[in-house]
Amino acid sequence: MTALSLTINGTPHGPIEVRDDLSMNDFLREVLGMTGTKFACGAAQCLSCVVIVDDDDGTSATRPTCVTPAISFNGTQIRTVEGHAKEGKLTALQKAFVAHYAFQCGYCTAGFLNEAQVFLEGLQATPIPRAGLEQAILESLDGHLCRCSGYVRYHGAVRDVVLADPARYLR
Amino acid sequence: MQPTRREFVRWVAASGLTLALARLSPAGALPFEASQTLPGPANAPLIGRARIDGVAKVTGAKLYASDFRAADMEGWPATTAHALLVRTPDASHVYEGLNLDALPPQARPTKVVGATDVAAAALRAPPFYAGDLFCPVGQTPLYLGQPVALLLFESFDAYDRARIAFRDNRALLRFGAETGPRTGPNYAALRFTRIAGPTPGAPDVYSPLQQGWISPGFTEDSGRPIWRPLPTAEGGDYARGATYGEEIRALLAAESSDLLVLKRDFQTQSVDPMFLEPECGLGWYEEGAGALHLVLGVQSPFEAAEALDYMLAEAPATVRPKRLDLDFASLGGGFGGRDHTPFPLYAGLAALFLPGRPIRLAHDRYQQFQGGIKRHAFHMRSQIGIDRATGLISAFAADHVLDGGGLANYSPSVATVGATAATGIYSIPKVDVTTVAEHTRGVTAGSMRGYGTLQTMTAIETLIDEAATALKIDPVDLRRRNLLTAGGRTMTGNPWTVSVRTPEILDKLDAHPIWRDRAARKAAAPAGVLVGTGLACCTKDYGTGADCSLGRVEIDAQGHVTLHADSVEMGNGIGTAIARRVAAILGQTADAVTVARIDTFQELGLVTSGDPYSMTQATQDAAAKNPRWVPAISSATSASIGAHVGTQAAAQAARVLFRFGLWPAALDLWGIKAGDPREFLWEEAFWQDGFLIMSGLPPLAQTAIAAEAHARKGITGAMAHAFSRWAWAQAAFPLGGLDWAAEIDALAVRQGDGPFEVLDRSFVFFPPTDYNRIGTAFTSSCGTAVRVEINVPGGEIRIAQAYSVFECGEVLVPELVQGQAQGGFAMGVGYALLENLPPFEDGPGNGQWNLGDYVIARASDLPLHALEIEVLPPVSPKEPPKGMAEVVMIPVVPALLNAIFDATGHRFQSLPVTSAMLRKVIS
Repeated sequence: MTALSLTINGTPHGPIEVRDDLSMNDFLREVLGMTGTKFACGAAQCLSCVVIVDDDDGTSATRPTCVTPAISFNGTQIRTVEGHAKEGKLTALQKAFVAHYAFQCGYCTAGFLNEAQVFLEGLQATPIPRAGLEQAILESLDGHLCRCSGYVRYHGAVRDVVLADPARYLR
Repeated sequence: MQPTRREFVRWVAASGLTLALARLSPAGALPFEASQTLPGPANAPLIGRARIDGVAKVTGAKLYASDFRAADMEGWPATTAHALLVRTPDASHVYEGLNLDALPPQARPTKVVGATDVAAAALRAPPFYAGDLFCPVGQTPLYLGQPVALLLFESFDAYDRARIAFRDNRALLRFGAETGPRTGPNYAALRFTRIAGPTPGAPDVYSPLQQGWISPGFTEDSGRPIWRPLPTAEGGDYARGATYGEEIRALLAAESSDLLVLKRDFQTQSVDPMFLEPECGLGWYEEGAGALHLVLGVQSPFEAAEALDYMLAEAPATVRPKRLDLDFASLGGGFGGRDHTPFPLYAGLAALFLPGRPIRLAHDRYQQFQGGIKRHAFHMRSQIGIDRATGLISAFAADHVLDGGGLANYSPSVATVGATAATGIYSIPKVDVTTVAEHTRGVTAGSMRGYGTLQTMTAIETLIDEAATALKIDPVDLRRRNLLTAGGRTMTGNPWTVSVRTPEILDKLDAHPIWRDRAARKAAAPAGVLVGTGLACCTKDYGTGADCSLGRVEIDAQGHVTLHADSVEMGNGIGTAIARRVAAILGQTADAVTVARIDTFQELGLVTSGDPYSMTQATQDAAAKNPRWVPAISSATSASIGAHVGTQAAAQAARVLFRFGLWPAALDLWGIKAGDPREFLWEEAFWQDGFLIMSGLPPLAQTAIAAEAHARKGITGAMAHAFSRWAWAQAAFPLGGLDWAAEIDALAVRQGDGPFEVLDRSFVFFPPTDYNRIGTAFTSSCGTAVRVEINVPGGEIRIAQAYSVFECGEVLVPELVQGQAQGGFAMGVGYALLENLPPFEDGPGNGQWNLGDYVIARASDLPLHALEIEVLPPVSPKEPPKGMAEVVMIPVVPALLNAIFDATGHRFQSLPVTSAMLRKVIS
């Protein structure tokens, strides 16, 4: 057993004693009851389960939680789907997902949302030319599986968030 | 006394158990009406016209069965125990029990439940899932993936350790002597034969509609049916139909020079629905109250309740709960794989055998592959005869063999639907199709999007393409010459009773640049790339022949609309579709929409009896004398019937509310008195921006009309039940001094703020029971054209451009329709090129399958920016919605195969066509 402490959506958690082989997904869902992060394959193949890890250097990246021990998140700051909206206000990306009918069953949505949010923040730090936008979205999201939507609307939603604020994301 | 919400509707099941079915309303979660309501007062400014569950799904709200734990449930103990369903990876050796001593001490279960325990408690497998709930020790498992035991754990840690141990260590299950697989009777064997009359208008010489469906009476030692025309002791006259069938086969075998005859084998593979949320259930057997509470996620809530009821019915009083309390959650995907799944039975058993403790049973992905329902693998041998001079199809024969797996499920139905779809979109005067769904030791096969049609239409659409090549007729032209058009008869002898749009679809395909420019594109292929273009046109029935819809609509004095329906949300957006259909009638998008509700219709007092698929006309006529009787109360949700069936009752209820609530109120506000000729012109009024518009009269605000309806105590709420057997049941009800006739069979209304009161129907017409002989009456069609590029010599295939065009009557929510088509395209690509589950020991039943081995389409496999979707407008403004969520997947598969042929010159006769297979034929 190891004592685990981390910050989730700005709220400190722990120290909490957990088994060394307890997955981060089970820590979130079974220990904390935060079921917005989904479990789908348990093999890091669909990426429904990713969360955002915010590094001290200001960069962020997604990590799957289903095959990753919870203790490997010790001391980290993470964001989950529950933390995107602030005071009941959806982010531009959340609004775009809803307005585009991006998802159907919605079980993969948390993973897409986290990945696309990291992508947008990356563009904000390092804008790209307009011509490369669709390919960049594809490369960012291609690891994520969706069985319902055919992906078209997810990608369109992300593209439209970028195009709605080109000064922020494009060069 | 007004019952609590959770206990709102109850009925006494056949066993005497009290059933209570409710929509999930857990403590601690977002209030359901708030989270599922959009646009409502809170969310309308934020999003506008979007899906009602949109905000909930982007904020991580608890919606799915897998999201809920005991602590989320009002009134439940706080902690959750966990259950592990152990399934066998072996169906050829005697099962000798578990080797639990090999588990680490921290992974030992609190309790083990197996066949002996179930037998001791007199718990039974429902007939639909005929077989043992668990494989008994000392027997060879009936099929791969059959449950052998349910392990119950007090703590999550123990469960988690055991789960991993069982996945990695097969020695935890002990097996003895090799027996080989067990055999079982076929699930179904049927023959569909039709001989048309000498002219298009003449009666058929023989058809299933006229003479009934037939089945052979004899089987070989191997279990295969004997299709020869031997007389049967009971059922339809098999020998007569088979004799006609053999005549057709003789015609095809005659090798006439006038006839092009192609005989081809085609095989399709087993695949997994691969909905992302593995099956899950949460239960609590509250001993003191004798209540078994369950939270489930299924497409068929009513069936789940009936199956649980059957399982428990014969148990002694010491075991048997007094009541079932079932909550149903949204689904993380379904695609048919959660329609009639036995999973709820095991969730119930887990709770029953650990009384007093909430317990969760959840598949992981390995278990979902091992035990979840699969698509049937088909082996099809098809023969088609085409007159060389006219290009008209003279005769068609086929023999289908389906792998139904080891547990009874929907195999007979899938076999039937596949067989009756085998002639595709074509008019063929002589047809003979045999089909047999076999029992094997494979993982259970059942319902999945496309439902047999995907398999058989792929075979016919590639066969037609090959015939076009052989006859040197343009593929579109050959299809046009042979189209089954409105009024023509399908292979069961009945016509389609809805619009038939295949001529327009073929025109669209023919004119599309993908098809029009195919030669130029092929000629311009860069070095090292093969370019090919293909198309296909298919049709798919929507409806099962016994479909139900429950809908309840209310309006308050402020004009707020509330909707409840029994359909299940699995991503199809059914709540949103219902809201849109009702909004057109009531002038206001609903402020609250709830689905999977079976708890809000008790005032209808519905009763049912018999099997709607097999009852006699006399039985139906006698039962229908009871004004509360309907042929079935609630049916499973499938995306393809969502718009047509799922919205029907709510729409009809809304029409009652408008006609007898809002319209009289509007007349009052306009000052129109009784006897004024405008009194009955309600169908000429329409809504615009929240106002009711009537020529020559001032617009009226919907809110003002609602307030007036309440003030005059007019009808402010209606609930209805609808039933379809390839036609809607119709009934009349006393309303406003009239006999109001509508396509519903039960109705209750509320006046002002009063309670709902049921109305006795003054007349009812249920579709005749011989409509059960119809194969398909409701159908919608879709065509797809694709251009592919194949790298030489690697065999990598890229879909460069694609176009799908289809029809679905009234489009309720365009974004949902487009989304279904885009998703269907992706699933079609996966089926054609990627997905494959081998049969038996190498397949998913061995418990070792997961994503990674099983490949579904990623975004990079698809032409995201080169996929064009076109929806034909309805044939008239009043054409009702048609199901479309299945058909959009189907032509994608044969279109891809036809394009691959165009590129490579090779016709593949099995699926999937992988890059490795392409590499072989182009090297």
